[in-house]
Amino acid sequence: MEPVTDAGRSKSRAAAARWSGTRVMTFAFSALALAFFAAMVLMLIGQSVPVWRHEGFGYLTGTQWFFQHHEFGARAMIYGTVVVSTVALALAAPIGWGAALFTSEVLPGRWRLPVKASIELLAGIPSVIYGLLGILLLRERVYDALQPFEPVSGDTLLTAGILLAVMVLPTVMTLCDDALRGVPAAQRLAARGLGLTRAEAVLTVVLPQAWRGMVAALLLATGRALGEGIAVFMVVGRQDNQWPENLFSLRPLMEAGQTLNSKLVGSETNIAYGDPLHWAAMGGLGLILLVMTLGITWAGARMIRPKEVHAPRA
Amino acid sequence: MRRALDRGLILAGGICAALAAGVLATILGAITWRGASAISWPFLTEQIQRAGASGGVLFNISGTLILLGAALLVSLPVASALALLHSVYLRSERARQRLWMLLAVWSGVPSIVFGLFGLMLFVKTFGWGKSWLSGGVLLGMMMLPTVSVALIERIHSLPRKYGEAAAALGLSQSQVIWSVILPQCANGLVTGLLLGLARAAGETAPIMFTATIFSGAALPHGIQDSPVLTLPYHIFVLSQDSLDPAAGARVWGAALVLLGLVMALSLVALPARLRIHEEALRG
Repeated sequence: MEPVTDAGRSKSRAAAARWSGTRVMTFAFSALALAFFAAMVLMLIGQSVPVWRHEGFGYLTGTQWFFQHHEFGARAMIYGTVVVSTVALALAAPIGWGAALFTSEVLPGRWRLPVKASIELLAGIPSVIYGLLGILLLRERVYDALQPFEPVSGDTLLTAGILLAVMVLPTVMTLCDDALRGVPAAQRLAARGLGLTRAEAVLTVVLPQAWRGMVAALLLATGRALGEGIAVFMVVGRQDNQWPENLFSLRPLMEAGQTLNSKLVGSETNIAYGDPLHWAAMGGLGLILLVMTLGITWAGARMIRPKEVHAPRA
Repeated sequence: MRRALDRGLILAGGICAALAAGVLATILGAITWRGASAISWPFLTEQIQRAGASGGVLFNISGTLILLGAALLVSLPVASALALLHSVYLRSERARQRLWMLLAVWSGVPSIVFGLFGLMLFVKTFGWGKSWLSGGVLLGMMMLPTVSVALIERIHSLPRKYGEAAAALGLSQSQVIWSVILPQCANGLVTGLLLGLARAAGETAPIMFTATIFSGAALPHGIQDSPVLTLPYHIFVLSQDSLDPAAGARVWGAALVLLGLVMALSLVALPARLRIHEEALRG
């Protein structure tokens, strides 16, 4: 991990520290990048100030969102975001873990690269195409499956969750595969040498060591699920103010809903710009979303050794 | 009992893997099957007519490529700078870890948040308006972590003796960067750029408020207030608003074209990326 030019520095510290053109450019462009990120966070905070003044803490807890009456409560959208991500993770976690276990522990070496390549390709399919598939293929299936519960349409939180599960599956698989393969092969051999079966070696030797990485994979995938807007927008139904009467019933899953993302992607963002308070409310949604995503991604990235953290969406 | 557990675990893993593979096959199959019949020469070379019900996607393709070109120009210097900062200039391990963490969370930022910010900063504050410039710069900043991380991984797999030999020759830090690190690691940079572009090509949320409209634009005439048509937004609008079955059939053609573009970019990057990644994992 040491810099390549460490040795060069020993020549003369003063000479190395001189401000060469390369150095100036590097620092200038880096500063630009950092300023961009800082500006994004500060601007979202700054622009959403009016809505916090107007609604106070109620902005987070209020269930009513009627922008015509200047009533802004984001709770139903936060709920939608959490539910959709939870469904996605509940479906993607077992399948992703299982598949990663298969690719890293069972599949012969020469299959590894093609499989890994296919997973990367699956990860690269644009979300708008997932959305299209969701609208034209998944929606009807979900509607048919839910028939006994008489849904209004196939656009439900459940549909969005299933679609997101497919979208984050490659992330879970590829990061889990990395985590599992981070466990040295010698340890597997030693375990097998002691007479353990493959399953026992995996369960007692490999999994405990790869555990952090596998959980981190889920966190990073959750971060991705939280940040996904377009595909969810297309199949979630976009019904405002859907705070469920009973939190523990499955009924809300079969109804249309709204997530932070779907709200922001919608046309309301364009309407909002003329009205400072309305705009602040939209900016505030972006801020909530950013804070949720950053928190989860940060936690996930921290759990993996820095070397293994690559762009989570890859 | 032990053997049953063994078989069971392998079987369960196999089922999961088959399910995942099946999903991929279904997705690619569905798009290719429906898209191929919608694609024709006129579809690729004509401009959009009657809200997508006839005509083609020529300017949607060109608009997407213009955005990607701008994104490439923006992210190349900035991402290289961040990578060099991380691998060469930062001396404390802690500072490097922090920068790495920043790149990790950066790549997790929701694309719609970038879109909102682009609308606030580029479109309104800077007054660039809805333009390929706003969208291109925004996409360039979005793909930053992908490019930086690929370059950093490549720099770290560079043998130490290269740096030592360069130092023994009396090269300055800048000379080492320009004549050893960058040429040796150029493939990492290219891989990162291709991957970043592949991702940027399919993004809809960041460009819908900053750069793209559904119809009524051809090649941009200027820098400011010159929106472009794009493939992702075309698909986005057609798939939900269009009641015309002719447009419904054509949306698959656009999806196939977009998928082809994205896949081509990632396929070119794939071999190098897998090799670098495998090396990084082993090292």
